[in-house]
Amino acid sequence: MSEQTEQNAQVEQSAPQILTFCTNDNAILEVERDVAERSVLIRHLLEDLPASGQAIPLQMVNEAVMKKVIEWCRHHQKDPPSTGDDDDSRRKTTDIEEWDQKFMQVDQEMLFEIILAANFLDIKGLLDVGCKTVANMIKGKSPEEIRKTFNIQNDFTPEEEDQIRRENEWAEDR
Amino acid sequence: MPVLMPQTPHKDDLDETWTFLEKGIDSVMLKLEDGVDMQTYMALYTAVHNFCTSQKAIGTSQPTKTHHGAHLLGEELYKLLGEYLSRHLESVYCESEGHAEEALLAFYIREWQRYTTAAKYVNHLFRYLNRHWVKREIDEGKKHVYDVYTLHLVKWKDDFFLKVHKKVMDAVLNLVEKQRNGETIEQSQIKSIVDSFVSLGLDESDSTKSTLEVYRFYFEKPFIAATRVYYETESRQFVAENSVVEYMKKAEARLDEEKARVGLYLHPDISKHLTETCLDVLVTAHSELLRDEFQVLLDNERQEDLARMYSLLSRIKEGLDPLRTKFEAHVRKAGLAAVEKVAADGDSFEPKLYVDALLQVHTRYQSLVSEAFNGESEFVRSLDNACREFVNRNRICKSGSTKTPELLARYTDSLLKKGSKAAEESELEEMLVQIMTVFKYIEDKDVFQKFYSKMLAKRLVHVSSVSDDAETSMISKLKEACGFEYTNKLQRMFQDIQISKDLNGSYRDWQEKVLDDDDRKKLVDSHFQILGTGFWPLSAPSTDFLAPPEIVKTSERFQSFYFDKHNGRKLTWLWQLCKGEIKANYIKNTKVPYTFQVSTFQMGILLLFNEHDSLSYEDIQKATSLAPEILDPNLSIFLKAKVLLINPDGSKPEPGTSFSLNYNFKNKKIKVNLNIQIKSEQKVESDDTHKTIEEDRKLLLQSAIVRIMKSRKKMKHVQLVQEVIQQVKSRFPPKVPDIKKNIEALMEKDYIERLDGDEIAYIA
Repeated sequence: MSEQTEQNAQVEQSAPQILTFCTNDNAILEVERDVAERSVLIRHLLEDLPASGQAIPLQMVNEAVMKKVIEWCRHHQKDPPSTGDDDDSRRKTTDIEEWDQKFMQVDQEMLFEIILAANFLDIKGLLDVGCKTVANMIKGKSPEEIRKTFNIQNDFTPEEEDQIRRENEWAEDR
Repeated sequence: MPVLMPQTPHKDDLDETWTFLEKGIDSVMLKLEDGVDMQTYMALYTAVHNFCTSQKAIGTSQPTKTHHGAHLLGEELYKLLGEYLSRHLESVYCESEGHAEEALLAFYIREWQRYTTAAKYVNHLFRYLNRHWVKREIDEGKKHVYDVYTLHLVKWKDDFFLKVHKKVMDAVLNLVEKQRNGETIEQSQIKSIVDSFVSLGLDESDSTKSTLEVYRFYFEKPFIAATRVYYETESRQFVAENSVVEYMKKAEARLDEEKARVGLYLHPDISKHLTETCLDVLVTAHSELLRDEFQVLLDNERQEDLARMYSLLSRIKEGLDPLRTKFEAHVRKAGLAAVEKVAADGDSFEPKLYVDALLQVHTRYQSLVSEAFNGESEFVRSLDNACREFVNRNRICKSGSTKTPELLARYTDSLLKKGSKAAEESELEEMLVQIMTVFKYIEDKDVFQKFYSKMLAKRLVHVSSVSDDAETSMISKLKEACGFEYTNKLQRMFQDIQISKDLNGSYRDWQEKVLDDDDRKKLVDSHFQILGTGFWPLSAPSTDFLAPPEIVKTSERFQSFYFDKHNGRKLTWLWQLCKGEIKANYIKNTKVPYTFQVSTFQMGILLLFNEHDSLSYEDIQKATSLAPEILDPNLSIFLKAKVLLINPDGSKPEPGTSFSLNYNFKNKKIKVNLNIQIKSEQKVESDDTHKTIEEDRKLLLQSAIVRIMKSRKKMKHVQLVQEVIQQVKSRFPPKVPDIKKNIEALMEKDYIERLDGDEIAYIA
């Protein structure tokens, strides 16, 4: 955590603007503006509305998730802005940097909550990392194993299953 | 601190969601100035998010199309938003009906600004829709689906702009016309209209790019058309009521004004088109009128107006060509007139007068070209053409184009000879530069070379150059203009003089060693110049001459020294160029004896009188063996100077007369120069030079022919003639019959032969 304190020290020097958020479980969280602006939603909101000092209501996010999101944003505060949607190289690889891997070592429910929050807040980097983590959980597994991992009920009839298998035969690893 | 969570509609209910959104958009669209609170902002964003992420779509007849991947929701919202915008714009249009002219512009601009500001907000609120549904539609290649902001622009264009653009443009054009008429207008209005039109240019195939199509079609086109009409009318009227010069000022001002207009409130894209239109109407349409005025302006030397005309006509296609033709003719006429003036006083003018006349015309029009015509290269060419014409073909050259180079060479000689009037070195240098200006135009450069080298030879032999620096400077200028070959001989002449100086030094040392006392007593002070036959334009004396014994002794001594040094060389004495000084000890009534500066021929005559007081014409001729053409004029000089007296008194030197020394000779100066050039000699020299030019040209042509044939081996006759012209034209303009004559001559000498089909071959 030494890394984080160091960053804080830096931020304090330039007297950052502090925003307050109110989560849907009524927790109040304070975040530096630079960190919060990793979210495109927040960035637009600050652009469009005059500064009021009011808490920003987050109907879709609870405190625990928001804290995780803020942690991620703070770590990635200095990342270059995403180069747009066509950043194929980053999208196609399922490699995840070490810090993010550790960050995503949470229970499945939290993982999905983070993904939903990232989607809502429009934080592309975090959304990508979340989705990649899920993708890595699926990779190399049989359908049965996947169902088990995600606790999914098999609602296909045997006929349907047979048909799908035949259609996707070309993709089988032999 | 309790924070109110915004109330959001049920995410699965489209009607409820839209009703909620419409209310929010309304307040953004119509009452943005009241501000949007954070709760509402987040609620609207969340409502869009929630609807698009709801599991179950409530679309009434949602066809279960097979998308690639998951089905995305949002189409209904997109459609409803579009319909909302159409409704909004319909009401804006209705309101606009009540406005016209400037009020309409103000209304348009106000609505446009409000609408686009709102569009930015709505685009942010609907970002979730943009990110997912719209993106998917566009990725799948759907036409007419845009991001929410662009949707606003498309709607504005389709539902409002297309209905009002004409009325708006009319108002814009009326404003511009007012401004062109000198009124002050609110030009920022036009700027805003332009910006709006530009924003509406959407690239149908890629919504992230914009095009200028809309602006070009709905703004530029009518703007240009109105401009054309306005200036057509204005210029027609103005020309009818004012002078051409006044019109040029007007047109210039208008062109500047329209150029500035682009910067003030138009889009730079119009710049080229607008300028072209203005030029077309203001300049091209009146170009005949302008050109007709050109000669008048030239005649009156109206440099400023000429510059104005140049700058106007230079901007239209082929606008200047007719001016160049007129300019060339004008300069030629001016040159010929100047020469005419010089020639009016007969043939005996100073070369300086002639050269100055040429230069003056050149200088005047060169400065016009650089000041008024921007030094433009085509005008420079016209000037050069005109100058070449009047320098080579004018009244003074009517006998042939060799006259100008001869006069120019004479003028140069007068500058470089000792005693010229150009005192300052820098002044002299400047005059040499001017000479080169005329030289550049001379076609018969070989003639200049001939005369120049003759005169240079004289200056060197008689040590009468004003300075070595000036001579070197001139030669290097010629070399620069015509190349090494042109000045090769001139430079060799310089070298000979330098070598001769050294030679005389070692000759003196040699004398110290070999002379005995008796020799020393009779020694004549001497200086020798050894001139290489091939490089100097000098020939052996035209007359026999028996040098006086004193001189013979001296020259023979030198010869033996020289042959010692350079075995096998041949020395020819150019007596006609030699000179010396003799002291007249015989004259009475003077304390210091007179010194006569004389030519060697004169010396030969005078020294005879050391033995006799009186000699007959025949005696003198026999003793000197000078030809009468040389002897007679020299005797005349002596008689005129009263050094000799003739018997019978008052007759001309001829056989039967006799001459005696004048013991009572008197002169103001102690040194008397009797070595005066004889008039007839000068004339003969000039004629000779012209004659050798013809000879040299023949050689030059023949050597060119041989050189070409040697490298080509075989060639068509016509081609050969062309090549020869190319090769020699830097020296003189060859005449085709001369070339043919020389080809014939070379055939006779078996250098070349004629083949079938008009071909010529080289005989190795």
